[in-house]
Parts: sequence; structure tokens; C-alpha cells
Amino acid sequence: MHNQQSFWQLNKAVVLFALVALTMPLWFPLINGYSGLDTKIMIFCIFLVGFDILLGFTGYLSFGHAAFFGIAAYSTGLMLKNFSDNIIPAIIVAVIAATLVAIVIGLLTLKRTGIYFSILTLAFAEMFHSMAMAMLQTWTGGENGLTGMPTPMLFDIKMQGSAVFYFTAIMAIILFYVAKRIERSPVGLMMKAIKCNQTRLEYTGINARKYKLLAFVISAMYAAVAGALMVVYEPFVGHEFLGWHQSGEVVIMSVIGGVGTLVGPMIGAAFMLYFENVLSVDLGEQWLLVLGLIFMFVVIFMPGGFMEAVDRIKKRFITTADSE
Amino acid sequence: MTILDIHQVSLSFGGLKALQNVNLKIGQGTTHALIGPNGAGKSTLLNVLTGMLKPDDGSVMFDGKPLLDVNSFDINQLGIAKVFQTPAIFPEMTVLQNVTIPVFAARDGSFRMNMLEGFSKQRPLIEFAEEQICELGLEKHMHSIAGSLSRGDKRRLEMAICLANKPRLLLLDEPTAGMARHETEKTIELLQGMKDGITKVIVEHDMNVVFSLAEKISVLAQGQIIAEGSPDEIKGHPKVIEAYLGEAQV
Repeated sequence: MHNQQSFWQLNKAVVLFALVALTMPLWFPLINGYSGLDTKIMIFCIFLVGFDILLGFTGYLSFGHAAFFGIAAYSTGLMLKNFSDNIIPAIIVAVIAATLVAIVIGLLTLKRTGIYFSILTLAFAEMFHSMAMAMLQTWTGGENGLTGMPTPMLFDIKMQGSAVFYFTAIMAIILFYVAKRIERSPVGLMMKAIKCNQTRLEYTGINARKYKLLAFVISAMYAAVAGALMVVYEPFVGHEFLGWHQSGEVVIMSVIGGVGTLVGPMIGAAFMLYFENVLSVDLGEQWLLVLGLIFMFVVIFMPGGFMEAVDRIKKRFITTADSE
Repeated sequence: MTILDIHQVSLSFGGLKALQNVNLKIGQGTTHALIGPNGAGKSTLLNVLTGMLKPDDGSVMFDGKPLLDVNSFDINQLGIAKVFQTPAIFPEMTVLQNVTIPVFAARDGSFRMNMLEGFSKQRPLIEFAEEQICELGLEKHMHSIAGSLSRGDKRRLEMAICLANKPRLLLLDEPTAGMARHETEKTIELLQGMKDGITKVIVEHDMNVVFSLAEKISVLAQGQIIAEGSPDEIKGHPKVIEAYLGEAQV
């Protein structure tokens, strides 16, 4: 496991991520990235790291994580609009709301595995989507979305421009560090064992269902933080936050980046958002076709995503160095 | 002293009576073999003991506690571990990770939310897991991916997983199935050399393994126990020869 590993070895991914994230405003414009997109990338890094705790560790593919993202976004919007413009209570309430919903959905859906679990989570998310569109439209704004929030504040700091970016980046770094700690804790080991052999795990004295629920709820909490930050980034909540398209995008980002690696899904998120917002300008209307081809290429030739490519390159370098 | 008391256990699958009023008492620290022809109900009985199957009738007591209607993981936490017919390991994990899981389970119970536990607290447990791996002769494979091991090594890894749980009762479902002769010999040695105090129940077709290990043998045929006794008594038992051993000419 990691008997002889130093602090650097254990935390190098977090340190490197922190360096890349905090210096992003300096280098991102050099590759045509615009201000604001960097914040969105950080928000999706949080979403994807959390999603990987469920999909990457336990192997359970949720097609309904937009529910937690959207519920948190609406909660944050309503808190900012009706109670306080301070983002801290808004984020806390948003995470609590999404967590409670996640516990209920998790208890109901985790009785099933594979495609049945995926479909059940999708069904729940669609249920929330239709509720936001119809039953709850007085609060959610229905088709038009939730608007009219004041400029969010972090106590006395106006959350605009670089303040939003650095707040989001710091949250992403902290939450990535937490995810890495979970990964190398006994809990992380049990979660990964669920993916390997759930029957053996139960016959080894472990209540796999509780660990699955824990992974589900933690990943929902990450999605909730991302959803809340999305409102801080842009004071608007649309019904599409809860839609299946949002859930599907997260799955594609994970697969492109490399499921189960924590870092990979963040790279997948950055790549997809950069592609969607920057490269698409050069590619014109064909950008979705190109993105589809890239996705197919990755799934067919690199099922481990971009992280598999990184591993292959690393191995090649090591082999070359050894032979020399 | 009896550690496992199976009383009047019956189980049917539709019209098929897999177990019929099975009574069995297993003494603490003994090695007890269950033999019988294919379809006799041996593996079914083990599955009842591990909570995988619920019998229609009867009771099972382990160390004075009822076992029926208890979850598999709670049965394991009571001190019962099972070696499956096909080695059940965590194939994508390293050998060390495979054995660390039951060590954590023995310390933390079936669930504990120690999500941010540091390495210093894990270290003594990981060292214990390493010792278990060395005891089973798998030290060369400590950091190998478990799925890449040979069948014999996978079986030994599975035993290491079970032993790391510190069980009081070890159920072995055909522990030498599919093994080469030298691997079977090694497994016999391993089971003979196991720490005292662990009660073992072995389901096995290989009579060499059974007679090398068992102190007592129960013979199942068509879901019923037709004979019980020491290896010598079983060898000469006419019902057993008729039902099972006759084919093997033991």
C-alpha cells in the first residue's frame, strides 16, 4: 500500500492541482481561455471529483446526479434571493438539502445494481426536473429559471470576477484533498472493494450497502457544492441544471478523463468545457461531431481515458530510460 | 464443546428437497468433513450457514447464538469465514489490499466512517496483513495484482483473507478443486498447520484430502445425513460405500 510514502508522494497530485488551479488566471488567457470559463472549470472539477467517488470507487453509474446539482443551485438561489446575500449560509443550506435528498434516493436506488440503478437515478432526477418545471414553478421560475438574485457576498467581499474564481479554486483544492484522503482511508478501500467483488466483501464482514450509501451521499454533496457555486458564479438557475443532459455530460467527462483516478475526471471536465467554449469557435457547427469522434476514439482505444494515455507515456519513458 | 449446532434443517427448491431434517453438531477446534455425491446438499448446507440461503425449517446455533435471519456480514463478524469453491478474492486489488480489508473489518466491525484516517493509525494493521501474507507463502506477490496469481495462489490468498478475519469457524467449500497434485499437497499442509482453535468444516470430493484432514466425517446423500463417524468408520460403512465411496473404491 503506502508504507514508505512521504508527504510529497501522498499529496503530489493535490499540490500539482493547486499550482495549476491557482495560476490559471495567468496562463489560461494564453490558450484563448476567457475569464469566467476558468471558474466554471473549477466548479465542474468539484462535481467530477465527487462523481468519481461513486462511479470510480464503487462502480455504480448514476445518471441522476444533476438532481443534486440542481437542487443545490435552486436552494442557493432562493437563499440569496430571500434570506441573505452571504454565500456561506446559502451553500450550507444547499448542501444539507441535497444530502437529505441523496440519502432518500440512495436508500431506494442502491438496492439495485447495473443498468437498473442507473435508470432509477435517472428517473428520480427527471422527477425533480418536472417538479421544477411545473409543481414548484412559483419558486423555481419554471421555464424562465430563477433570477433576481443580488450580487452574492462572502461577508464583506463582493463575489465577482477573480474573487469568485479564487473562492471556487480553493474549494476545489480542499475538496480534491478530501477525496484523496478518502481514497487512501479504510473507507476508500471498502468502496473500491465493492467494485471488485461485493459478495466477497460481505463475506469478509463488511456491510457493503452502508459503504455504497456513503459513497452516494458524499458524491451528492460534491455535486451540491458545485451546484451552489454555479449560482455564485452566475446568479441564475435554469431548469436544465436538473436535466438528464447535465447528468450525461458528467458521465462523458468522467469517461474521457479516466474513471476511478480522481484526477482524470477533472481533466475530462476541463477538456470538455474548453472544447465546448473555445475550440468550438474554430470548428464551427461541426464541433459536436468532432467531440463525438474524440469520445469514440477514447472509449475504443483508451478505455482508461486520458489517464491511460498518461500512464502509457510514463511507462514508455521508464522503459526507454531503463534500456539506456 | 459444540460450537455449531444444526438442528432439523430442511430446504427445498420447488419440488427438490435439497436438505431434509439435517442434524449436525460440530465440536470446537475440530476438523469436520462433509462428503457425498454431487447434488447431495453439501454446498447448500454451507450456504445456509453463511446466510446465503434461508432454510424452510430448523435452526442453526453458533456458539449459542442463532444464525438464521442474520446478514452474511454479521455472520462473518460473529467469527465464521468461508472459502468458496471458486476463489473469491478482489481481483483488481493488490494482494496486500486484499488481506488488509478483513483486517480493517476485524478492527472496525461491519461499518465505520473513518474516512480521513491517517496512515499512522493504519500502519500496525497493514503490518499484520503483511504477516498473514508471509505465513501463507505469498510474500513474493505482496504488491501483485490478485487477479494475476495462479489458481493455487489465489486459493491461498483467499485463505489469507479468511484467516485475517480471525475466524473461529472456517468453512471450506472444495478448497482443492481444480488444483494440481502438488498444490493440493501444499493446501493440506497449510490446513494441517493452521493455528489451533479454529474449527474447520470441509466440503471435499478428494478423499485423500478428507482422510488427511478430518477427525470426523458426515456423509450426505439426497439432502440427508446417512452416516457419521471417524474416517475409519466411514471407510467401512456399507451405506457410504453404496451411496458414494463405492464409485471411488476407497
